[in-house]
Amino acid sequence: MTKQSPANIATIPDEGVDKGGQRLTPEQVTRVIRRMFEEEGGARLKIYIETCVHCGLCSDACHFYLSNNKDPKFSPAGKVKQTLGIIIQKKGRVSIDFIKKASEIAFTECNLCKRCVMYCPFGIDIAYLMLFMRRICHKLGVVPQYIQDTAHSHSVTMNQMWVKEDEWIDTLQWQEDEARDEIENLRIPLEKEGAEIFYSVIGPEPKFRAQLIYQTAVIMNVAGMDWTMPATPGWDNSDMCMYTGDDEMAARLKKVHFEAAMRLKTKRIVMGECGHAFRSVYDVGNRHLGWKMSPLPLIHAIEFYYELFRDKKLRVKQKYDIPVTLHDPCNVVRGGGLHELARYVINETCSRFVEMHPNREHNYCCAAGGGVINCGPPYSKKRVIGNKVKADQLADAKARGAKIIIAPCHNCHAGLEDIVKYYDLDMEIKFLGDIIYECIDKT
Amino acid sequence: MALVEFEGSSFNVDEDGFIEDFAAYNESWVQLVKKEEGIDELNEEHWKVINVLQDYYKKNGIAPMVRILSKLTGFKLKHIYELFPSGPGKGACKMAGLPKPTGCV
Repeated sequence: MTKQSPANIATIPDEGVDKGGQRLTPEQVTRVIRRMFEEEGGARLKIYIETCVHCGLCSDACHFYLSNNKDPKFSPAGKVKQTLGIIIQKKGRVSIDFIKKASEIAFTECNLCKRCVMYCPFGIDIAYLMLFMRRICHKLGVVPQYIQDTAHSHSVTMNQMWVKEDEWIDTLQWQEDEARDEIENLRIPLEKEGAEIFYSVIGPEPKFRAQLIYQTAVIMNVAGMDWTMPATPGWDNSDMCMYTGDDEMAARLKKVHFEAAMRLKTKRIVMGECGHAFRSVYDVGNRHLGWKMSPLPLIHAIEFYYELFRDKKLRVKQKYDIPVTLHDPCNVVRGGGLHELARYVINETCSRFVEMHPNREHNYCCAAGGGVINCGPPYSKKRVIGNKVKADQLADAKARGAKIIIAPCHNCHAGLEDIVKYYDLDMEIKFLGDIIYECIDKT
Repeated sequence: MALVEFEGSSFNVDEDGFIEDFAAYNESWVQLVKKEEGIDELNEEHWKVINVLQDYYKKNGIAPMVRILSKLTGFKLKHIYELFPSGPGKGACKMAGLPKPTGCV
């Protein structure tokens, strides 16, 4: 038996990780790791690992590091060292307990937000390295239970929340009915072939937050858009498989999504306010499928709202008067460059805007993204304690007057709610769509 | 995970404040959680939502979609949010003793 140091033993019990570990033998671990390094790691992995000179510039970029008293265990390079570093050093001969600990680090101590990548003098993509570790965990079946449940839902239903086909259609028709009390003759057009816009959302919207679909329907109808949603799977643009390391399933999900839009011969995809879903169709899943970019034009809600105001399709009746601040989500800002467009929309709709610092591509992550919040309640405390810098940043914006935090991303939304509650900040979190719905002229 | 005691009952709760085991639910759980969820006194409508959630969960092992909840209670979406300000997923499910739903929530 190899001697384990305390740092190599998983600290948080998780049924998915524990049961996965029980099924493994050390030989399987070594075999899978070596195959992954040979078949998938290749030159990219080798260059990243060999180029890092441990300069430490990535450390101060990481909210987990900054929030945990600058504990080097939480620095990006430190997280790589504790996972892939040891695997390389031991030539893949690591224990099952090591894999369990590595799973915890890769899944719950890194949001794949890529803030560190921006500060690395060599541009080493640490998110890729953490994802590579997650993919090893996926291949070994050692994945936190909550996020694996979501991945299972994806593979069974093609959406992340076990929504059945009839329930999806029923929800849209229900919201159409409710919205018709407000806007006469409003439609949520299902299966409209040749529509200009294919609108897609993520699972939580029909599951629990159907008011977001309602609001979008109102915005689309007021703006006079030619839009549709599919009555088949493909309506959910989210992708937790991208984060569990199940690249094959991630690609399959994107294929279903793109094909639904193409089957309906729509001109372009407009997606709701979700960050990771944007990453999955704009950067990751499209490449898994062999496309450099998405196979048909695609824009995030922020850009769509920007177009609507730029083209005067929407008119503001009265600007939103409570002071707002903006949380720039990693995937659409650092990943997609939509920060100025988001500010354009806010300037159109809100009378008082307070910048948080740092902002734009330098903003701190919400600590929920990258599938971390999806790993569920066992890691919630670690997640909020690991983002005290975000609480300080929000408190500073609040001291300068901000009462509302606009977060155009579902994961950011949920993560910031937890931070606001834990640190007792008494601020409210809204989507851009909430603000737009509230202040536009609907007549 | 933490052990919480209230009115002679004890509950194991996870870090998001949900009961670990649905079987441990009893009415004092609701009394314990209501304040945190911003509810002063529960009325018949709150109980209707809680009962529907529990029945559905017992049969299906998962929380219902808000659409199903609306159908089975007769409440509009807005009204469900008025009853449970933190929403059907985080608020109502928590009070009904269901586990935290998986997904981006």
